[in-house]
Amino acid sequence: PPRSRHGAKLLNRAWTAATGRAIGAGATRAATPAAEDGGAGVKTAAAPPHNLLPPPPLPPRSSPATPRRSWAPVPTCARLRRERRGSGSGIWLCLSVCAATPCARPVPSPSRRTISSTGIQASDIRPLPVLRETMDYLWHLLNSSEYPFEIVHDFIFDRTRSVRQDLSIQNLVNDQAIGIYEDVIKFHILSHQRLARSCQDSDASSLCYLNTEQMMKCLLSLFDMYHTIHKINSQSNKEAEYYSFFVLLHMGCKIPKMANSLSFWYSQLPASIVRSKEMIFARTILRCYHLGNFKRFFCMIADEATELQLCLVEPFLNEVRARALMYLNHSGYKLQHHPLTHLSDILMIEELELEDLCRICGLEISRSGDTKAFAPKQTTFSLPTPLSKSSGIYISREIKR
Amino acid sequence: TPTPSAASGTPTPPSRRLLGSAFLQEFRNWETPWAMEAMHMVALEIRLLAEKADRELVMSGKNPDKLQAAGSFLMKVFGALAVKGPKRVGALYVTCQLFKIYFRLGTVNLCRSVIRSIETARNFDFEDFPVKDKVTYMYYTGRLEVFNENFLVADQKLTYALMHCNPQSESNLRKILKFLIPVKLSIGVLPRRTLLEKYNLLEYADIVTSLRRGDLRLLKQALDRHEDQLLKCGVYLVLEKLELQVYRRLVKKIHIIQREKEPSKAHQIKLEVLVKTLQWLGITMDVDEVECIMACLIYKNLIKGYFAHKSKVLVLSKQDPFPKLNGKPV
Repeated sequence: PPRSRHGAKLLNRAWTAATGRAIGAGATRAATPAAEDGGAGVKTAAAPPHNLLPPPPLPPRSSPATPRRSWAPVPTCARLRRERRGSGSGIWLCLSVCAATPCARPVPSPSRRTISSTGIQASDIRPLPVLRETMDYLWHLLNSSEYPFEIVHDFIFDRTRSVRQDLSIQNLVNDQAIGIYEDVIKFHILSHQRLARSCQDSDASSLCYLNTEQMMKCLLSLFDMYHTIHKINSQSNKEAEYYSFFVLLHMGCKIPKMANSLSFWYSQLPASIVRSKEMIFARTILRCYHLGNFKRFFCMIADEATELQLCLVEPFLNEVRARALMYLNHSGYKLQHHPLTHLSDILMIEELELEDLCRICGLEISRSGDTKAFAPKQTTFSLPTPLSKSSGIYISREIKR
Repeated sequence: TPTPSAASGTPTPPSRRLLGSAFLQEFRNWETPWAMEAMHMVALEIRLLAEKADRELVMSGKNPDKLQAAGSFLMKVFGALAVKGPKRVGALYVTCQLFKIYFRLGTVNLCRSVIRSIETARNFDFEDFPVKDKVTYMYYTGRLEVFNENFLVADQKLTYALMHCNPQSESNLRKILKFLIPVKLSIGVLPRRTLLEKYNLLEYADIVTSLRRGDLRLLKQALDRHEDQLLKCGVYLVLEKLELQVYRRLVKKIHIIQREKEPSKAHQIKLEVLVKTLQWLGITMDVDEVECIMACLIYKNLIKGYFAHKSKVLVLSKQDPFPKLNGKPV
């Protein structure tokens, strides 16, 4: 979409100006990138805008122990901030340059290198503390609401791939590295929810797919890391929850990385993980889904899902509701209509949204006084794909508590 | 046969694999398959030694990579056999050795390429292979179909393996039945207790009983009790899906009881009765949940009829309200 391209262009131009390194416009993100995401492809330089300061001189190459710094000194950054505040591109320029300040946040472009590129210097690779700082900064950025989420997502998507690449090149597998991976997955889950809510067109649905694909790759890498640290009798206290995400993703569309069946996957897991509270929740949810017990499905999600589990399942909920309508339409008695009020309680959706959903599925709603209902056995029903993504479960858990 | 060093307990260098490679090189040059038995022996020994070596590596805290290397070597052997000519008849044996390696390593996705070669390449006529190799092949490919829940194909393959397996080989028959029984259950075929006892597969006994009785509590208890074992085999999810069939059987039993008491109203089952029955079985469910499940049973053609939402009644068809599965999975 134009806004997204505009935002991306501004970002790239700002980055080129700030770092002195060329990055290309229109970087392609392959649907099935190579293992651990070798870089984002060939980049070409974009000419810096005339009203930006010239890029700062690069400092001497640092030792592997210290992070490479190619940033402007703080006063320049502050001046830029003052000069650019108020202009449309200001925040991104500011963020890009601020990201390059010693005070915080090295967030280089993902085009720096690929796994296969030659001539990588040790000083090019960010050590663990710097990667941790980078992740912290990106988290801070995630909550920025000034720009459409797709632009923020794009930026963080690329940067987190770069972080993972750095971890992978260094073959880092320890608690900190695992923490970073868990945070990356958290980002993908939140994106999964927000992209589904905010985006309805085909460009956005490809963003959703790519996000899910990256999430899956990240999860599988994380599981390998868990397996590695088990050998040294270490464990992450979030393991069970992250394993449960893999199970919950089976409610959505299948992506190639999920090639192995769930049955086989379970057979490889330790019993302690399979029997954990988070995994039992995910397994039960999936079971209720297959059994058609939609009442228990939604109740369990409302009562027991963690925040991240809720974010993960939210985009699937309307499909589950549509499936419930399909069963009820097929199996109900046509002379006894199904009131939407009752159905909205079971499916945990606002009545007006449910009405919309019924219409999308081709169901006619009848009115009797104040009561709206649908009559089963309507032959016009069809399960639409893609469905509009839901805004979640309407019963607030805060209110319930 | 090389033995591990007695002093350190670590495996000797891969001399067996070097021997195997040298033999393979010569084997490629021979036009006739006169040394096929020797080639198979080499393949078998390399796999067995690699498994033993990996066990010792794990015990000494090292990375077990011998079986993976054995797999790579056996792929080369497969390549040498998967050619036009008389050597191809030995390819299925090597395929089965590869399956054993991939299943042991948990890399079953690698089976795909060899299966594709066997099943689609024009070099092979399946009937030409020795029976024992065909049985092993069908057993492993049947297991893969169970993982993917392709029950009809899994049934065909595992039944083939069962019918052609040596009847004296009880352990092999047991291995086949371990996966065939869940598949048969999912298509509505129940084994006799005597079969389960004969082959020591009593973990399925309560599950079969729950299907006969419509006893949901028994099904849940059986799945809980044997959860670890069933998950490790990869059949737990298959058995979990039997829950719908158990519900169906429960509704059928209520219908039979009602027919005896009041034949004219036997086809109408109040949802409250189902709620009370489930409560008696120790399962707490409200009317809305029961309605959802009934809707699912009707949709999946396990029950013929409809439910009246306002009256909270399940109305069964007067003709054949409980259609049989007829060998098709739910």
